[in-house]
Amino acid sequence: MAENTDKMVIDGVELVGIWKEFMPSRILYEDVTTEFLNEVKKLPGGETIAKCYQCGTCTGGCTLPEFVDKFNPRGFINLVRRGHYDLLVSDYKELVWKCVSCNRCTHRCPKGVNTQEVVRAIAKFLEDRKVFGKLTNDEAFDEVFMDEVINDGRIDEVKIVKDFYAKTGRLKEMMSGDQLSLGFKMFTSGRIKLFGGKIKDWKKVSQRLKEELQ
Amino acid sequence: MKTVLVIGGGVTGLKASYELAEMGYNVSLVEKEDYLGGQVAKHKYYKLAPDMRLAGEVIDPVIKSVENNSNIKVHKHSTITSLSGDAPEFKVKIKNSKGESEETFGAIVVATGFEHFDPTVKQEYGYSRFKDVVTNAEIEEMLNPNGPTKGELKRPSDGKTPKKVAIFQCVGSRDKQVGNPYCCRVGCVVSTKQAIEIKEKYPDTEVYVYYMDMRMFGRGWEELYGKAMEEYEVIFTRGRGAEVTLKNQQLSLRAEETIMDRPIQHSVDMIILAAGQAPGEGTIEAAKILGIKQNEYGYLAPKDDFLSPNESSRKGIFIAGADKGPLDIENCIVEGAAVAAKVASSLK
Repeated sequence: MAENTDKMVIDGVELVGIWKEFMPSRILYEDVTTEFLNEVKKLPGGETIAKCYQCGTCTGGCTLPEFVDKFNPRGFINLVRRGHYDLLVSDYKELVWKCVSCNRCTHRCPKGVNTQEVVRAIAKFLEDRKVFGKLTNDEAFDEVFMDEVINDGRIDEVKIVKDFYAKTGRLKEMMSGDQLSLGFKMFTSGRIKLFGGKIKDWKKVSQRLKEELQ
Repeated sequence: MKTVLVIGGGVTGLKASYELAEMGYNVSLVEKEDYLGGQVAKHKYYKLAPDMRLAGEVIDPVIKSVENNSNIKVHKHSTITSLSGDAPEFKVKIKNSKGESEETFGAIVVATGFEHFDPTVKQEYGYSRFKDVVTNAEIEEMLNPNGPTKGELKRPSDGKTPKKVAIFQCVGSRDKQVGNPYCCRVGCVVSTKQAIEIKEKYPDTEVYVYYMDMRMFGRGWEELYGKAMEEYEVIFTRGRGAEVTLKNQQLSLRAEETIMDRPIQHSVDMIILAAGQAPGEGTIEAAKILGIKQNEYGYLAPKDDFLSPNESSRKGIFIAGADKGPLDIENCIVEGAAVAAKVASSLK
């Protein structure tokens, strides 16, 4: 039995009839809301989202669709604006991140939407809501990389590879023959060092950076 | 004959009468209601798009200039009942509550205007079945401080301020089901204007507009549309409203969000139907009495749409304004002035 058995009765006659009693509801989405729009609008870069009038110039000229099928800046904006949160999470959450920031969309937008920044803001909005259960490899690497920069002020190749594999739960894979022998080759040819150098007094800078990023 | 009969005391008729009187013609203005100003006065239009100027500011000086002009004789509460003779000597019977009188005119201007489309026939929208489904004309009256609610937006059912308002575009326009396949030309901008007015007064109320196309072709209209989106957070959803039902004692509308291909159901407190324009009864009646051609929708047909837009199919009878097809106030005033010039050149 369908859920929406709302009736339309005129002069005692039920017009829609019994169809709704056994036909499944066609409704995919209920109750439009501006809640998400207001949230994205407050994020850095999201300020111009309300200007969009959905012409599609951004997606039409986007660098990405050639490589990432469903990447659609116009669509992301529309979903947020109309509160189609479920669809944004189920179909697009992985895609929003793929933007390469070429800024073609921003330069071409006839309404003055800063599209690239808005897309970033939407990604941030999703991140804040913790919709990404497991980190993708890209994201895990990004995080490890940033941690390293903030903590040590430089990249230590061995450490970053180790942390990356640890973060994605694949330490065993790292210790397998292939990766280990590749690492040994790079070490003997002087491409990597076992212990990276430290930067003098980095602690203070690190502290300051952490405060700023809070 | 330097006498002209103007039928219709709306914006167009007023402007035409005034311009003709200023040129030295004796004008008789026939109006069926007991007030001048036509639909603007009837529905107490509040503000005009795109400048948000008070409608009274525009219409009152025009009415005053007509009433104070000694060359214009205003017949309120009057209609024409018959026409005999030909140009340039028309004999017209004018009827009012006191009786009938015959007068002779050199030319006739028909400015009988339009009427708001009655959405009762679109029964899927529930107008007149659900109290909280109202027309845009009713909203004009509501927002006007001189209106029935003293300028407050109130739900007719319980008098509360609605928290969520939906506006349906193209009600009775672009719709072959009701015989009006044409665009009403003003619905988009009026809805946008009303959405802004509501948001200005009640910032917490959410306003959603359901449209097929936003046709913002007038002066400053497109900018107003942008303003509604950017400054007032009006949410425009592409997709025509399909039906309105009651769900848990709340109005529930259905539509398709066509941009993302999603049918939606949306619960709101109040629905405004942007009812379009239809030829008024007065227009149809005048066409019959005067024997001038109408187009397939009932509007008056110009002799030549491009070359003689203000001449009817009959010599000496001129047409102007919203009785020729949907028109906004700004252009009605232009039409009024244009027809005056055409009449003057034909009577010289």
